[in-house]
Amino acid sequence: MTKTASHLYEGMYILNTALTDEARQKLIDKLTGSIEEKGGELHKMFDQGRKKLAYEINKKREGHYLLLYFSVGAQMMDKLWREYGLNEDVLRFMTTRVPAVPEKIEFQPLPE
Amino acid sequence: MEMPFAVKKRRGCPFTAAGVKHIDYKDVETLSRFITERGKIIPRRITGVSARYQQKLVKAIKQARYMALLPFVGEVVKA
Repeated sequence: MTKTASHLYEGMYILNTALTDEARQKLIDKLTGSIEEKGGELHKMFDQGRKKLAYEINKKREGHYLLLYFSVGAQMMDKLWREYGLNEDVLRFMTTRVPAVPEKIEFQPLPE
Repeated sequence: MEMPFAVKKRRGCPFTAAGVKHIDYKDVETLSRFITERGKIIPRRITGVSARYQQKLVKAIKQARYMALLPFVGEVVKA
């Protein structure tokens, strides 16, 4: 297989809040581990904690939000998505291409 | 229903004015200014957002909805 370019991605995950702290840490390790397993590199992690969901997902009203910034080969994304989809403790996930890793998650309000 | 944009007779695109490069789906506070209580996206003829930024805004709102940051259907406003 020819070598394809590795890109920078942002992954947002909504994790099950029913997990204990220990089990959640294990899940996070599993998510980051699977990226590294595929030759990727984790750049930054933001644990955003519990948040109320705007609507119910799998009968759950709350979710634990996790943000990962990582780079991985483009052909590996399919495999990652499949793993995430099979994991029942990941309620939702979305990966987007980003130009750079931000220092912190903060936004300027629009001027009036 | 409250109409924050129509009343002010706003001119010019708020994103162009602020020099925004990218509209992020995680920025719920900004995005929620451009949806109604029902959760509908406000048309740009009312908000004054330029066509270029409305495209980015719509995409960001839809991404935020998928990640349950914004509702697909907001609260029902009783008449």
